[in-house]
Amino acid sequence: MIDTIANVLLQGILLGGLYALFALGLSFSMGVMRFVNIAHGDFIVLVSFLLLVLTTALGLNVFVALILVLPVTFAGGFLLQRFLLQRAAGSDVLLPLLITFGLSIIIQNGLLQTFGADSHVLAGAGTLQTASIALTSGIYIGVLPLLTLLTAVALVLGLDRLLNYTRLGSHIRAVADDVAAADLIGLSSGRVYALAMGIVGVTVAIAACFMGLNMNFDPTSGPDRLLIAFEAVVLGGLGSLWGTLAGGIVLGIAQTVGAHFDTAWQLIIGHVVFLVLFLLRPQGLFPKY
Amino acid sequence: MPFSRRTLLKGLAAGAAAGAATSSLAFPAIAVPRTLKIGVVAPRTGPLTLFSEELPFVLDQVKKTFHGQIKINGSNHPFEVIPKDSQSNPNRASEVTLDLILKDKVDLVCTFATPETVNPVSDQCELNGVPCVSNDAPLESWFFGRHGDPKKGFQWTYNFFFSGNEVIHCYLAIWARVPGNNKKLGVLWANDDDGNTFAKVMPPVITGKGFTIVDPGRFDLPASNFNAQISTFKTEGAELIFSVIPGPDFTAFWNGAAQQGFKPLAVSPGKVAEFPQGVYPYGDRAVNFSIETWWSRFHPFSSGMTGQTSGELADSYEKATSRQASMALGFRHSLFGVAFDVLKRTQDLGKRASIRDALRDTDYKSVVGPVNFRKGPFPNTSLTPLVGGQWRKGRKWPLELVIVDNSLAPEIPVGGPVEAMTYGS
Repeated sequence: MIDTIANVLLQGILLGGLYALFALGLSFSMGVMRFVNIAHGDFIVLVSFLLLVLTTALGLNVFVALILVLPVTFAGGFLLQRFLLQRAAGSDVLLPLLITFGLSIIIQNGLLQTFGADSHVLAGAGTLQTASIALTSGIYIGVLPLLTLLTAVALVLGLDRLLNYTRLGSHIRAVADDVAAADLIGLSSGRVYALAMGIVGVTVAIAACFMGLNMNFDPTSGPDRLLIAFEAVVLGGLGSLWGTLAGGIVLGIAQTVGAHFDTAWQLIIGHVVFLVLFLLRPQGLFPKY
Repeated sequence: MPFSRRTLLKGLAAGAAAGAATSSLAFPAIAVPRTLKIGVVAPRTGPLTLFSEELPFVLDQVKKTFHGQIKINGSNHPFEVIPKDSQSNPNRASEVTLDLILKDKVDLVCTFATPETVNPVSDQCELNGVPCVSNDAPLESWFFGRHGDPKKGFQWTYNFFFSGNEVIHCYLAIWARVPGNNKKLGVLWANDDDGNTFAKVMPPVITGKGFTIVDPGRFDLPASNFNAQISTFKTEGAELIFSVIPGPDFTAFWNGAAQQGFKPLAVSPGKVAEFPQGVYPYGDRAVNFSIETWWSRFHPFSSGMTGQTSGELADSYEKATSRQASMALGFRHSLFGVAFDVLKRTQDLGKRASIRDALRDTDYKSVVGPVNFRKGPFPNTSLTPLVGGQWRKGRKWPLELVIVDNSLAPEIPVGGPVEAMTYGS
């Protein structure tokens, strides 16, 4: 009995690590840059397909492929912000929302045209996907989910350091606090935003890699990932990266507990827990603002 | 005047010319053979893609066998095969069938690959009065899934395959003989047509045979992870696993099982292990996967279309494509075998009802066994023989299917005993 409870909680936390990875990029753009990226899930799926092509066509190890892809997604985020999203910045909230909604539709249909409706799983990680560590006779931890959780923690730590202890971080925070004032003291807000979006691009690539290794994806899975990411960000509280990690873990545990009683409840319990917590604490668990 | 060949020809020519001039309706399709159109609805993309793997090869065989001409009642008719993609989506399947019927005006519709494809296509044909022949959808799911009445049957649609009842008995025969198992069966049945059907039909049959079912409940596809199911199987001590979920979902389950140290004695992954490409990715962890086997190179039947035996058909496929022949090959091949047999026997090609009558009266020796829609078990259906197989390390291919149980079809030879999962050891 104790074993079962411990196992359910443990698996929930591990699943939460993956959800937190989905959410970090969104948390960064929502909390720091104050803009909602509807296409976040689709960006993740797009990069997963990119990794799929690299691993199957070139036979690369998936982590080698990830390293190759990181500069691409950084540049992608930078250019996207500089040449598209920046034009809508500062105006009302609706415009960036509509632009990313459009991007979402374009990405989904583009992927559907190119790859068909098939769902895929990333391979090319050797035995990583099936390796496990036995804690006790009843409790096993998969190496891949553990690695996913550790990556999420490391990424939060890294982003937190970047925001709070580096020059770029202080620039980003200054621009986020007050664009006009930041421009007055000589910061180029456009460039800072673009760099921040480049960083989001890096988190998207990492999320895409672990999503593809852990679960299956198809051209239309983006909105599902976005929903999970959104819930994790809101649960954790806007602007708090550690909060997003906590939000992801809460969702992961809720889903795993729900599924333990009946697998049909897995998704619905996650959403119910989100709604209840949202009603009790609309500002989230660890709000910054 | 003596009645000579010359005058007869002159008279005929004049008559035909007059007929053509006054009304082309007066002589339907006698002088110029009409092009026959055969519509094919298949999942070329989406989760069911594996089912369509052999379609191009078989269409090529059709081309080479008939050279675009089929001889009916002594005259040659050109024909055209029009394939459409269902995208593994029932709504889409229904839509493209309607296109085939209304836009292309097909004479006969062929379809295959699970009730998700076959049922909507058959329904559309029934509704529009177009003959439709299908396979690769279990008879119960096809007949009762479409609310068929065993007393009346259907007017236009016919299906040949194994029945769900056969599958259950086939699996029971395998599982009962897996050495040293506790007869506890863990099931992964999703919230879809197949999952719900199995959940309704299987438990009463199987508990009567001394098995216990461990069912963690229906879940929606695609499922992101199976940790909950795996931990339920572990706590309840399930040693046999039966899943009916598509490949990517099974991968998520099977990777999760490895991560959780869950090693059942027997695993039967329906919708996955039917296909060589479905089992290759798991390597050693797929050895001794057990699966219902609808056709193999060992089946002692031969094709009415090309005359090939099962072994020859498999060899020609493997030679042409450098891919391992799967059990779907026999059914793809026999689907067109039946379709062309029907057209050849049609009395009046101008009438859809006449094509339908030929379809109804089918008594055809196919590479998957005899097909006769009058024999049942339900109206409009024909039952093909089913055996049990297991994947073993092969000589020519990484994994090869060996027949381990023939209790339902003793005419098909057994190639080895039932073995427990080995996990590479």
